Amino acid sequence: MSQNFRLEKEGLINRSKKISFKFNGKSFFGYEGDTLASALIANGVHLVGRSFKYHRPRGFFGAGVDDPYALVQLIRNNESIPNVKATEQELFEGLEAKSVNCWPNVNFDIGGINNFLRIFLPAGFYYKTFMWPKSFWYKIYEPFIRKAAGFGVVSHEPDKERYEHKYEYCDLLITGSGPSGIASAYSAAKNGAKVILAEDKPRFGGSLLTSDVNIGNESGKEWADKIITELKSMPNVVVKNRAQVFGYYDHNMLVMSERLTEHLPKSDKFTPKQKLWYIRAKEVVISSGSIERPLVFGNNDTPGVLLSSAAKEYMKVYGVLVGKKPIIFTNNDSAYETAIEFKKNGIDPVVLDSRKELSSDLINEAKNLNIKIKFEHVVVNANGYRKVKSADIAKISDDKTAIGKVEKIECDCICVSGFWTPTIHLASQSGGKTKFSKEIDAFLPDKSKQNETTVGSANGIFNLQDTLNNSFEVGYNLSNKITKKENKQSTPTVVEKKSSKHDKFWCVPLPEGKKYKRFLDFQNDVSVSDIEIALKEGYRSIEHVKRYTTLGMATDQGKTSNLNGLQLVSNIENKVVPEVGHTTFRPPYTPVSIGAIVGREIGKHSKPLRKSPMHSWHENNNAVFVDAGLWLRPRYYKRGNENLFDASKREAMNVRKNVGVCDVTTLGKIDVKGPDAAEFLNRVYTNAWLKLPVGKARYGVMLREDGIVMDDGTTTRVSENHYHMTTTTAQAANVLSHLEYYLQIVWPELNVNVVSTTEQWAGAAIAGPKSRDLLQKLFPDLDCSNEGLPFMGFVETKLFGVYARIFRISFSGELAYEVNVESNNGNFMWEKIIEIGEEYKIQPYGTEALSTLRIEMGHVAGSELDGRTTPYDNSLEGLLSKKKDFIGKRSLQKEAFIASKREKIVGVVPLDKKTSIPEGSYIVRDANSKLPIPKLGHVSASCWSVEYDNPFSLAIIKDGKNMIGQKLFALSPLKNKSIPVEIVSSHYVDPKGERVRS
Amino acid sequence: MLYIKCPYCGIRAQTEFAYGGDATVKRPELNKEITDKEWDEFVYLRKSLRGKHLEFWHHISGCRQWFKVQRDTTTHEIFKTLKPHEEL
Amino acid sequence: MQKYSVFNLIKNAFSGHQNWEVAWKDPTPKKSYDVIIIGGGGHGLATAYYLAKEHNITNVAIIEKGWIGGGNVGRNTTIIRSNFMHDANGRFNEFSMDLWRNMSQELNFNVMFSPRGIINLAHSDAQMNVYARRGNSMRLNGIDAVLLNREEIKKIIPMADFSEDVRFPIFGGLMQPSAGTARHDAVAWGYARQADSMGVDIIQNCEVLSFDVVGGKIKGIRTSRGDIKAKKIGLCVAGSTSILAEKLNMTLPIETHLLQACVSEPVKPLLDHVVTFGAGHFYCSQSDKGEMVMGGDLDGYNSYAQRGNLPTLQHVLTEGIAMFPFLSKLKMLRTWGGIMDMSMDGSPIIDKTHIEGLYLNCGWCYGGFKSTPASGWTFAHTIAQDKVHKLNADYNLNRFSKGYLLDEKGLGTKTWIS
Repeated sequence: MSQNFRLEKEGLINRSKKISFKFNGKSFFGYEGDTLASALIANGVHLVGRSFKYHRPRGFFGAGVDDPYALVQLIRNNESIPNVKATEQELFEGLEAKSVNCWPNVNFDIGGINNFLRIFLPAGFYYKTFMWPKSFWYKIYEPFIRKAAGFGVVSHEPDKERYEHKYEYCDLLITGSGPSGIASAYSAAKNGAKVILAEDKPRFGGSLLTSDVNIGNESGKEWADKIITELKSMPNVVVKNRAQVFGYYDHNMLVMSERLTEHLPKSDKFTPKQKLWYIRAKEVVISSGSIERPLVFGNNDTPGVLLSSAAKEYMKVYGVLVGKKPIIFTNNDSAYETAIEFKKNGIDPVVLDSRKELSSDLINEAKNLNIKIKFEHVVVNANGYRKVKSADIAKISDDKTAIGKVEKIECDCICVSGFWTPTIHLASQSGGKTKFSKEIDAFLPDKSKQNETTVGSANGIFNLQDTLNNSFEVGYNLSNKITKKENKQSTPTVVEKKSSKHDKFWCVPLPEGKKYKRFLDFQNDVSVSDIEIALKEGYRSIEHVKRYTTLGMATDQGKTSNLNGLQLVSNIENKVVPEVGHTTFRPPYTPVSIGAIVGREIGKHSKPLRKSPMHSWHENNNAVFVDAGLWLRPRYYKRGNENLFDASKREAMNVRKNVGVCDVTTLGKIDVKGPDAAEFLNRVYTNAWLKLPVGKARYGVMLREDGIVMDDGTTTRVSENHYHMTTTTAQAANVLSHLEYYLQIVWPELNVNVVSTTEQWAGAAIAGPKSRDLLQKLFPDLDCSNEGLPFMGFVETKLFGVYARIFRISFSGELAYEVNVESNNGNFMWEKIIEIGEEYKIQPYGTEALSTLRIEMGHVAGSELDGRTTPYDNSLEGLLSKKKDFIGKRSLQKEAFIASKREKIVGVVPLDKKTSIPEGSYIVRDANSKLPIPKLGHVSASCWSVEYDNPFSLAIIKDGKNMIGQKLFALSPLKNKSIPVEIVSSHYVDPKGERVRS
Repeated sequence: MLYIKCPYCGIRAQTEFAYGGDATVKRPELNKEITDKEWDEFVYLRKSLRGKHLEFWHHISGCRQWFKVQRDTTTHEIFKTLKPHEEL
Repeated sequence: MQKYSVFNLIKNAFSGHQNWEVAWKDPTPKKSYDVIIIGGGGHGLATAYYLAKEHNITNVAIIEKGWIGGGNVGRNTTIIRSNFMHDANGRFNEFSMDLWRNMSQELNFNVMFSPRGIINLAHSDAQMNVYARRGNSMRLNGIDAVLLNREEIKKIIPMADFSEDVRFPIFGGLMQPSAGTARHDAVAWGYARQADSMGVDIIQNCEVLSFDVVGGKIKGIRTSRGDIKAKKIGLCVAGSTSILAEKLNMTLPIETHLLQACVSEPVKPLLDHVVTFGAGHFYCSQSDKGEMVMGGDLDGYNSYAQRGNLPTLQHVLTEGIAMFPFLSKLKMLRTWGGIMDMSMDGSPIIDKTHIEGLYLNCGWCYGGFKSTPASGWTFAHTIAQDKVHKLNADYNLNRFSKGYLLDEKGLGTKTWIS
């Protein structure tokens, strides 16, 4: 197709490189340097999508981030990407895009029926209806509404792109490369500061790309190019395009997303699509410019109505005409630049200026060019459905409340300018207050909260010479504060046209008898009448207005709508705008990719993975692993066709009969050292620790201050002032922090140090009646007899020349030892144990068998110590010293904790000795009573007792000890189970603990 | 992201630290007879000040020292950081 | 009061929507009231509504510092559920569910209650057991719950990560089919409109400066709009509770923390349930507009800022992608924060206080939205009758000193670890 709207020469695009692309299945071409929007406009395509609520036709309203309409579905690199802004998407070869929110297509959209029903669908209509019959909301209305809403489509598939993070520090971060940004960056960089200059668009220069000014003896654009080139060559400067600083967080941390490959047909494997920069800046210069405000009139959302600055940008940057019969509708001078640009390209615009006739450099130039100007005239209504065909215009009265006779003039576009809104988002996000400027009818940054300085039009300075003077000075002063250097640049002189004052007028009154929709928020279809209804119904706070009408809540976040909304509310409520206030500015300034925020921590890398030194042995021996916090532990070692149940039963049985070995590396290990270590342990644990001899271990329980059990484990006195503490795998990190808290804050007088040694030691538990024989073989020189190494004994020795520690401790309830060697010897130890253990029929056992063994012994673990149980509940009262104080002791007197019917741990056996009791079942007296059924307590852990070959569970139930012998029920409604059970002692196997001492 | 000055290591990003709660709460001395109310004040009751708040932080991914931070709970401005036994 | 209906909507359309009445008035405060509710959030507005409706107490004022519904009722992720393990929490929130089911009709305001079901994902057998304990407790309390295995979960939410490249594979999950979402703002406005119509004065932009307590009895408040007397006063101010408590010389077992939430850009419907991640703290649903509504951990240090920090959000979204890898392709559109009254056991407080005529409603942590109707209902009862209802009997203030804690998570007093 030919490009009927492409200018011959104008623009910064590369005309030597044609790029073909598809939109809604149709092939087009554009040039390198186009956006999808500019290329479509060049081809005369203005209809891109449909609005959210009424499904009205939508075209292009802006030329960049401010555009509220032009969302498309983009197909790039075989990925279908929702909600891409056509005004931001750069054209690449083979680009494909589709309209969204329309069916069957954008030209004929069934949803457009809403447009005809719109009088029934005012603000908040859905709060007033869809209530009858009751079930219809969820079943009928809501699914229908959900389908109609939403824009693009996202598939279930994961993202194939790569995202990275970068942390950076600088003296000055400058957000935006318009004249103010370039000037302050240059001035600061020349003064030795480390500068980052970030530009959201592909091209640097901001307004200098489109305005007709001279700086020194160059054009604005030439000056910008020259300075940028110099900045890029400086070692202390980082210059980034396609980089949006979207958030200003605490303590001068700003976050920037850099788009690295979205403008290319595809990303290389190792090139990220986006890079997220966390920038800690000493000073921040906000040079984010300003956004043109729309004027509001009837059907001002019709495709072909757009910002005058966008029309100018399409001409000057892309060499594209948004129309050939333009109307320029303005309340200020800046739109005259657009008119002049049209004229220079051979197009005759008509300017409608709401102001009384006046003169200024720009207006005079337009007059000299014979541009038709109608002062005191406004556009009343845009005619046309899919594209503007004509405009109803009229004279407006002095007080702007009445319009004269309406006349219709033909046009194919209406370029509007309602003056400029400074982009103060970042300044406000920093925590700074804002102030309303009557001068420009917009909010400006007030006193800064963090180290930010706002310059240029973001700070309400619209004159270029003033902007440069101020920005050069700011750049110098801020850099001088940091570098202490005094290398000052002189500000170049500007040749620019002076503007006259803008008109406060922004909204055209309706002609008699007409009910045109006058839109404020174009994406969400919020019109003047919606705001009027909201206020009439008492939704008067600006937050209520926003929420009731959805004003400013679309994906453009109200960049073009918020201020007009405020103006309207203030007019109706008869308040000044600052009294109405604005809604809060929060990051992100523009929507930011969730993938970029997350970075590389995805898939298997979403959390770190911890493996024991014996991990590959486990892998090679058919271990099936289980996540234990961040650790991966063997759950069982599969033989043949075994399942979890068979394998764990075999492994547990082998421990009871012969000997087994379990990798216990993951247990938390903490070295406690110092002359006061015993005293410290005595305070931390509930039992007595002062008399533990060297070479002995002891089991201990520690509480939180609220009396709840925090953790348990054994601690061994390695030498006079050195203890080796073990914690559960889950609580290792918490226990260390807990100990440090008490040592550093509560009892600094104690001379003790603690350090984690979890990763220093590999641990193997050797358990079973044959474990002593095996141990003796492993340590031939050691006296492994019951006298030589008694229960709770500890020795340091060598395992075939390797330093080793042996603890005679047992979790399984069998005769058992735990051998620790330094981590790098872990595999050596493990292989030796397996090799030598063969003659004793050793088998490795996993966490499932470990669980079985501990459950039938009645040893408590995480499922009982769940952060809600006291030592009493777990039958650990024997470990509560009466003689000394300890952490949490004072809480143990609480009424609820010592109540006579308090829950207590017991054992549970099914009467049929066959039916396993699912964990998480409840013990009840009467299985058939009606809901809610009173509960006695819950089943915390279940196993198949290998000792008795029947199911056995632990439960924590009310008045537990007195329930022993009672016949009750275990209920698991989730699994549809009601199991008659008997309550027994929690110590099901070897209740006297003889085996461990044998 | 907060920027916190560890009194031992210097200024570091928030992600290196763990929060530790109100630093004005003092644990009652061991073995001292105290009322239930005094104990509850230590375990459960918090002023939760708006404005300047003295709180503990723990440099868990650094020197593993606990220290005190005076921070504004409305603006997150940090006025001072102190070793555990230094007073404001 | 004007009735909302489709007929009325059509009727008004033909008169250009010029005849709608205000949803609530904007009265100047009277000199005195029978009851003052401080806090025009969901809970306060509901309390006033039930005072009028259930107890015929209509000489009531709601005092709101800002604009009604501006606190957590307008800042939450709209999840409604009663999937609790503790009996007291289950019973209370199931009562709340009953009120939710009829709320649109009762208030004549469409709050868009959408019982789409909540799924808590589990990533190990151990976690399945923890959920079984919770689910069985729910079932025995008459609350719906089903335990789903991996295949069943996959049928319902195929977009979750069932691939090989996953750190914590999905084992299954607990589902409460009757749980869901509602339109949060509508809840505040619906209660406000009905309360107003029954005579309640909704007073906005009115800050409480101090309390008038004489001889252990509450007499009234001083506000930025003058002194107001009241026989009874109920505090319902969520994250601001500690600030008002200080004015009453009370110290409470709560701390104020910030919780952030965010939404993505709107996309066409693909997620029909509320889903929570089990190997971290992340939850997600898709709003009727098409936005993915997401939340997770607290910012982790005491905060009244209503503005959050990025590391927490990054952490939350990392877990989000771990659960739903497709989220990576969406853009985060809006973030916001709410200040939460985190209690020391994670459960709320609805009780009388040591000051006669002063009642306390706080400690909702980040779960207050779902409880809004039951909270208002029981608080109204407690105020009207000067005694707790059996539904909120366990939510008493002295449970901490007596040890009758309701700790669903077993995390103890570290309120900032969510």
